[in-house]
Amino acid sequence: MNNLLVLPFLLPVLTAVICCLFVGRPGVGRRVFIAISAAAQCALAFYLAVRAFHEPPLVLLMGGWAPPLGVVLVVDGLAAIMLCLSTVVALACILFSYAEIPVWAEQPLRLPLMQLLVAGINLSFLTGDLFNLFVAFEIMLVASYALLTLEANDRHIKEAFPYLAVNMFGSALFLVAAGLAYSVFGTLNLADISRRAEAMQGDFGVMVVAVLLVVVFGIKAGVFPLYYWLPNSYPILPFSLGAFYSGMLTKVGIYVLLRTFGTVFPHNLTQLYTALAWLAGLTMVLAVLGAVSRNFIRGILSFHIVSQIGYMILAIGFFTPLAIAACIFYVIHHIIVKSSLFLIGGTAMFYNRTDNLARMGGLLKASPILATCFIIQAFSLAGVPPLSGFWGKYAIILVGLEEHRYWLVVAALVASVLTLVSMLKIWMGAFWQKLPADGTADPEAPAAARTMTAIVCALTLISLAIGFGAEFFFGIAQTAATSLLDPAQYREAVFSLTGKGGQ
Amino acid sequence: MKATTDSFLVRALIGLVFLLVNIVSVYLLLRGHNLPGGGFIGGLMTGMSFILLGLVRGWEELQRELPVPPLRLASFGLLLAMITGTAPMLFGRQFLTQYQLHLDYVPLIGEVHIGTPLLFDIGVFLLVSCITVKLVIVLARSTSGLPAFTPGEVPYYASELEGPIEETANKEDRHAN
Repeated sequence: MNNLLVLPFLLPVLTAVICCLFVGRPGVGRRVFIAISAAAQCALAFYLAVRAFHEPPLVLLMGGWAPPLGVVLVVDGLAAIMLCLSTVVALACILFSYAEIPVWAEQPLRLPLMQLLVAGINLSFLTGDLFNLFVAFEIMLVASYALLTLEANDRHIKEAFPYLAVNMFGSALFLVAAGLAYSVFGTLNLADISRRAEAMQGDFGVMVVAVLLVVVFGIKAGVFPLYYWLPNSYPILPFSLGAFYSGMLTKVGIYVLLRTFGTVFPHNLTQLYTALAWLAGLTMVLAVLGAVSRNFIRGILSFHIVSQIGYMILAIGFFTPLAIAACIFYVIHHIIVKSSLFLIGGTAMFYNRTDNLARMGGLLKASPILATCFIIQAFSLAGVPPLSGFWGKYAIILVGLEEHRYWLVVAALVASVLTLVSMLKIWMGAFWQKLPADGTADPEAPAAARTMTAIVCALTLISLAIGFGAEFFFGIAQTAATSLLDPAQYREAVFSLTGKGGQ
Repeated sequence: MKATTDSFLVRALIGLVFLLVNIVSVYLLLRGHNLPGGGFIGGLMTGMSFILLGLVRGWEELQRELPVPPLRLASFGLLLAMITGTAPMLFGRQFLTQYQLHLDYVPLIGEVHIGTPLLFDIGVFLLVSCITVKLVIVLARSTSGLPAFTPGEVPYYASELEGPIEETANKEDRHAN
């Protein structure tokens, strides 16, 4: 009886509903309530993570119906890690948004929708059923469409349109893929699919379902030919939401790719892995070139999301146990660093009232702490030792050398150098150079900026801890990878429970 | 653009059509647990019936005549569904566990089999139908030259630039960088 498993989904939904029904108007009380709820979700996620790492995967049969008839929720190591990350980032972004906007200017639906977004993301980590995953994606996407356009002006709505169109296309394709999976395997339960797919290895249907799912999750993750919806739509978000989107949304795609390849499908889809690895190489290099070409902070950071996605997909493409562990480690590192960079951008915008690099400047003097945080996180993103990004990239490149994929290794190194270049562009523009004549600056740092800097510092400390405690975090990633790559353990956990309608 | 139609037949019959569609949708809702149907499909049908009503009678009037704000009812539906799911957890059962009640004879109806899934379905029904109504009203109003939100709703839902689409599209961009 693991009813706790449903709470990471239930708590945000209830928070959102209570906000909509009983406290429609923004206010201090509502803010406190949402912050407490977010903190509770965070604590719950860490409790689940501790349990998931000391026990076999936790399973909840919804409504008591046994798999494969019923929908199951499963928390194993990887899902627990993702839950922790999503709740931590959500908490940071919610607190940041309190400092970003005064109570009277807050959009009343923003925080409830953000909670629904968290609920959708958490459900997609929890679920052990393909159709339920589709539902989770829909909850997440509908909330994200609404949030993207909630505070947008006309021009922003134009940028949101490709996001909407591409993701709706992806959802339709996902539905087709789920239908096809049902006709090929006769079940939608992930554990059951993995059992049947193992028995029908080499079957053409398995390959078709796998390819379709890769395309769908590739769209969600933003892999090379399908990423153009991302870099233009994220910059229209306010920074606090942009940080959450950039941290979590594409990583849901990575998570489901890991889940489908590691647990669901048999580990012999070699051609697919190779194709993924090459697409990942292209993604890294092309997206980082896009980042270098941009001249405002949100634009640069948004292109970087795609570029970094390339590293994770590359690790999945190598598909050795070490590569999968590196991928998980990279996800941990990336979510924290990317969100905190967005939040640093938000704080910088608070000082300069713009995030256009041509009109920013003087931040090194205005806020040395912020500058320190930025330089740490920027070097970490680029992969300078001993920061967190280095260990992830080191492991991925090590695997690449072992597997003799030299061109991909070269691509990864080139992308790293260009990442550093574009990060230095932000550094020179916003922090190092003097404030240009037509720039604006808030000379007095108000209390809000201090709160923002504190949140950013906390995230930077987490990221430093990941870098200096790399051994511990890599150990966690390896444990998660081992259990991810062991479908037998997953199946046993799911099928060991008895319920109504069992076999 | 005038949203109403001038056909007398349609205007005269819309009340009847609205009633019929909703009877079918409630029927679908009630049979839903064991047969094809359920809250989602029923909710969509009810939403469609409101779209018909709006097309014929005009969106202004539809909005005026709605007894409750749709989004509040939708949130209530979601809350109802969640409570139905959560209640068994208080008794130590799994989330969404269902309880059934079978009555062999009820006067006038006969054999009745009801359970908590019906409550869940009613929640989904409210959620889906009300969200549909709300989305369509906002879209239809802003494309037919009316403000998307009534003055009472503005502080709750509207963002700064909300207004009829044609109107704001021609204004200069207030957030130009």
